[in-house]
Amino acid sequence: MIRLSGKLAPPPRWRVPVVIISGILAGLFFYLFYISRAYSYLSDDPSTCMNCHIMAPQYATWNHSSHREWANCNDCHVPHNNVFNKYYFKAKDGLRHATIFTLRNEPQVIFIKEEGKHVVQDNCLRCHADLLTDHKVMSYTTSYQHVRSERPCWDCHRETPHGRVNSISSVPYARVPVNGSPVPRWLKRLMKKEK
Amino acid sequence: MKPISTQIKRKPWLGWMIFFGTIVVVFVLGLLASSILERRSEAAFAFTPQIQYSGLEPRNEIWGKNFPMQYQSYKKTSDTLFQSKYNGSATIDMLEVDPRLVVLWAGYGFSKDYNQGRGHSYAITDVRNTLRTGAPMEGEKSPMPNTCWACKSPDVPRLMNEVGVAEFYKGSWETKGHEVVNSIGCSDCHDANTMELRISRPALVEAFDRMGKDITKASHQEMRSLVCAQCHVEYYFNKNIEEGVPYLTFPWDNGFSAENMEDYYDQIEFSDWTHKLSKAPMLKAQHPGYETYMTGVHAARGVSCADCHMPFMSEGGQKYTDHHVQSPLNNVANSCQVCHRQETERLMQDVYERQDRIIGNRDKLEELLVRCHVEAKLAWDLGASDEQMSEILMDIRHAQWRWDYAAASHGGSFHSPVEISRVISTGIVTAQEGRIKLSRLLMKKGYTGEVPYPDISSKEKAQAFIGLDVKTLQSEKEVFLHSVVPGWEEKASARESGYPVRSLFD
Repeated sequence: MIRLSGKLAPPPRWRVPVVIISGILAGLFFYLFYISRAYSYLSDDPSTCMNCHIMAPQYATWNHSSHREWANCNDCHVPHNNVFNKYYFKAKDGLRHATIFTLRNEPQVIFIKEEGKHVVQDNCLRCHADLLTDHKVMSYTTSYQHVRSERPCWDCHRETPHGRVNSISSVPYARVPVNGSPVPRWLKRLMKKEK
Repeated sequence: MKPISTQIKRKPWLGWMIFFGTIVVVFVLGLLASSILERRSEAAFAFTPQIQYSGLEPRNEIWGKNFPMQYQSYKKTSDTLFQSKYNGSATIDMLEVDPRLVVLWAGYGFSKDYNQGRGHSYAITDVRNTLRTGAPMEGEKSPMPNTCWACKSPDVPRLMNEVGVAEFYKGSWETKGHEVVNSIGCSDCHDANTMELRISRPALVEAFDRMGKDITKASHQEMRSLVCAQCHVEYYFNKNIEEGVPYLTFPWDNGFSAENMEDYYDQIEFSDWTHKLSKAPMLKAQHPGYETYMTGVHAARGVSCADCHMPFMSEGGQKYTDHHVQSPLNNVANSCQVCHRQETERLMQDVYERQDRIIGNRDKLEELLVRCHVEAKLAWDLGASDEQMSEILMDIRHAQWRWDYAAASHGGSFHSPVEISRVISTGIVTAQEGRIKLSRLLMKKGYTGEVPYPDISSKEKAQAFIGLDVKTLQSEKEVFLHSVVPGWEEKASARESGYPVRSLFD
């Protein structure tokens, strides 16, 4: 290890510029981490999803649904079979979303992808399995297998939980947690004084 | 002092100090940049009017300076590339597609020329180009009155405000050619001061008044259809309101249905023209788009015209209405799929299936109507009397009115498939009733064979069949467009250059 760092270390004459340049790069990295609120993606807080404003309809509709009391975004939209899969899926989906948002490629009406559908369906079952294994129902629902387990829940429960009007313009006036200013208060105060 | 690199060699913590110091400096510089960008973007996000103009400003590009997103999307109405199965945004020569129309409208302007119109931004060009407005040059008058401008331009509310409503309608079409030059746009639907939707055409307000309704009580969602209903409706020219003025009137007093309006026209004994072959007192349905739409399921659920034809958009977190007014079939994602979660192909199929089924019966009715006119002409030729013909002619009038009510409602077969099917089926019954009476009469006159169906397989053949010389009309039109229209444009731009427009940044 020591030998390796010895080999990687710049010749003594270059040491100062290298220290400064790597300081700049590291500083930019932390700044990007801070401004994009990347740290928030490790949490389960629904307002994290509002880092991209186009998620406002999804947030607002969830926030007015009964699911608000029990489930956050991740409870339904990332897998929960094991912790590695959870973060793998979250990273994969999140990076795709971030790419689309950054390139301004978002469609006006967002549809869930096939993979996401399976995740959501599994999560419906994770909490609501009782509804599928009710013996009373099994005894009189002849098409049990087809009706109760092959179709996605939202084929019937269409309003749950995001409602039926689906467009990124559907809730223009909803009060949702928008990203505040990244500029710290002390800097603002300082700038005001300068003026 | 020793060079700094030697100092670091002795005291490695100094290197780390420089490293972390740089991180902090860069980070704070980043925050400063954020703050600067925030201040800059405030200006871009807020509504920033650039200019001030009068409440009657007819030029869309002037409004566009203050509302760039809406104006940019409006400009797309000049796109003519989209074609759906039956319609689209391109010019379609409907007489070419369906030459039977020539016979149905024999003796009326529509037999000369009838095109599927293009987007709003072509309104002026297309009304100048159509053969129906004629070639009014050298003292010659257009066969159409100024009323025909009523739906074409934001110059219309401006003029009505200047000269009065009846005075606007008065006179032949060419007399206001230099006044009406801007295509359908902003001030047709918007109040210049508040940008609220507004009704700029008196005909709709008057129709509401006669029905005992107050249009000023309409909700915003209703207004998102009513602004369209200023023009996309059935209308006629009432000559009894003011002496010598073809006053634009909606025949809604008894209701919106084909039968209601038919009753209305029968009561006042109105006819648009007398048919050249059958001599029936005909009615021309214009485009009862709003009336038929109101009988459909989307209207019943409170969906407005704009919800599908001008869906909401979000760009950069700002919501606005797409002013590219067009067929939702060219924009299924933003219109249909907001509520319907099916695939685009499936949704298009739903539309086409309804259109296909309805056009089958409409075609049949059209053929029956051609036969009606031809058979009635034969009856006249064989010496039938007015009395013998009067009932038959009323049947022809009613049957063709119902066909036209369905055909001219354009989107009707999707907006309200059940109602349109019903109207067509009553049209078929009425046409056949008339033909039964006709065959009795023909037999009385000694004619027992089948009356031959004319060869009208092309527009040219059909126009020759009704004795119409289109070639002359076309060449006169060509001369008119090159000699008269440029003068109109010149006069208009001289007048417009005097309109008050003030920059807010001078």
